[in-house]
Amino acid sequence: MDPTIEVIALLLPLTAGLLVAETNPYRALVIRGVFGAMSSLLYGLLGAADVALTEALVGTLLAVILYAVAVRSSLVVRLGVLQQDFQAAAPEWVTLTTALQQAFKSWHMQVEWVPYEQSQALERALAEREVHGICTRSPTAVIQAKTRVYRLYEILQQEGVVPIVMYDQPVTSSEEPR
Amino acid sequence: MTLLQGVLWGMIAAFWLPLYPTLRRGDIWEVMLALSSVATKSSLILLMVSVIRDDWMMGLVGVITLSVGNAGFMLLAHLLRRLGQTGG
Repeated sequence: MDPTIEVIALLLPLTAGLLVAETNPYRALVIRGVFGAMSSLLYGLLGAADVALTEALVGTLLAVILYAVAVRSSLVVRLGVLQQDFQAAAPEWVTLTTALQQAFKSWHMQVEWVPYEQSQALERALAEREVHGICTRSPTAVIQAKTRVYRLYEILQQEGVVPIVMYDQPVTSSEEPR
Repeated sequence: MTLLQGVLWGMIAAFWLPLYPTLRRGDIWEVMLALSSVATKSSLILLMVSVIRDDWMMGLVGVITLSVGNAGFMLLAHLLRRLGQTGG
């Protein structure tokens, strides 16, 4: 075999090892793109033009973009807040956002604030699973969180960022078995 | 032909270089730079080999990979920028 092909083929297991060892999903996606480009080159050099094209177009381009969208939509914590409470620049919200980002950092999750106009709309959003949790101010101006995701409750309880309670799900007619 | 072979070996040596930023635990944009580097270099190596072997089929694959790879890279970069997640 041509020695140039062997030198390039040596890159594949190296990159694959890097890809498997990577823990951050976003970095793993980009390394998957690197791996796809390398394997596409190797297939082309070995004479399989159709396989090389398929690897470049589907394996690298489409798969990476689709996975980026999937990771983006699954690793985000959506927290609802009241519009009147929430001022993004206010020091307590900045502190809370920073602390939450720090708490979720090892899970590679992000925090997204979803503002609501009225408190009924906020409660309804939690009940209808629009958001994973809500942050409200108690009468003593302490920020409290309420979540419906038990794993989120565990993480925040463990990190102690914000006082958090579980959402008690009321049994409604729409959730009864049909 | 010897000159072309030497150029090809140089290109393959340069092809190994982007592996270093993927090894380091740095910013995600450094890995994106490595991706763009690898994507461009792989198509150029393919074009070079197609010239050496006088094979138009491989040249066509190289050209398509070059153009589509850039488009996909821009799309991925835009998605990552929208995510706002740049840290490692």
